[in-house]
Amino acid sequence: MRKIFFILPITLFLVLGIFFYLLVIDRNPSEIPTALMNKNVPKFEVDELFDNKKFVSINEFGNEIVLVNFFASWCKPCRDEHAFIENFSKKDGIRVIGVNYKDKSSSAIAWLNEVGNPYSNVVLDKKGKLAIDWGVYGIPETFIIDSNGVIKYRHVGPITEKVYKKINIIIKNNK
Amino acid sequence: MFKSNIILLLIIFLIQIGPINSYSVEPDEILKNEKQEQRARIISKNVRCMICQNQSIDESDAELAKDLRILIRNKVEEGLSNKEIYNYLTERYGDFILLKPALKINTIVLWFLPFVLLLIGAFFIYRHNKKSKTSH
Repeated sequence: MRKIFFILPITLFLVLGIFFYLLVIDRNPSEIPTALMNKNVPKFEVDELFDNKKFVSINEFGNEIVLVNFFASWCKPCRDEHAFIENFSKKDGIRVIGVNYKDKSSSAIAWLNEVGNPYSNVVLDKKGKLAIDWGVYGIPETFIIDSNGVIKYRHVGPITEKVYKKINIIIKNNK
Repeated sequence: MFKSNIILLLIIFLIQIGPINSYSVEPDEILKNEKQEQRARIISKNVRCMICQNQSIDESDAELAKDLRILIRNKVEEGLSNKEIYNYLTERYGDFILLKPALKINTIVLWFLPFVLLLIGAFFIYRHNKKSKTSH
């Protein structure tokens, strides 16, 4: 009976330790899964940067795979991931849309002229309202939307070589 | 000497528990209607700043925190209930945006495990005391 006073607390501690370790092992706080996963893209109607027309989401999603990239000219990591976004825009069967977040239109145009414009459309989110609807909390952020208009993946932060490969697999699986 | 030490300790203790008003609400954000502002403040205190993570948006200087504070105030003015506002936020940012996790099936362990452990501990202390009493 005495032994149990030693064994039980230690066993309990070990079990709990393993339990909490397993709980947090795949939960990196910087990679919080989006609440919009497997949900339809939010409905929105916003101005475009280059064309003098409205971008109406219900007309634009649900036809093909779309990559949505939140970016800004003031955002340094956006420059770092730019080459990957350009690579995506050169692929067949995928459309790349940019959301220009809290930026001056003139700065955004100058920036895209400098680095190249990989986006089929650039929509404006001057006040960050659209970003909140998408659950965005750090620029850049990238979403993959399948041909049914359903969100399949979200990445927070700049796209790296590793993330680029991962997104390619997701695109392939959703084709 | 002993008495003055006690008083000193008491003062230090009271300073710790006193109200510490550190918040980041800017003057232009504050609603004219005091009751609505109070409600917005309470909601903001329960909403996590997604950038700083261990702060509420009420305390955070981050730009997203400010955007969310304004959004909450707009929703309060529009007449949404607290629950509707929390739902609006969790639909977009998930339960993680709430500083206090919601009581759900997957959070039951988190909420009740401390009490279960307390009971187990109490049981063992009780058993131990009972045994040592009888052996004396």
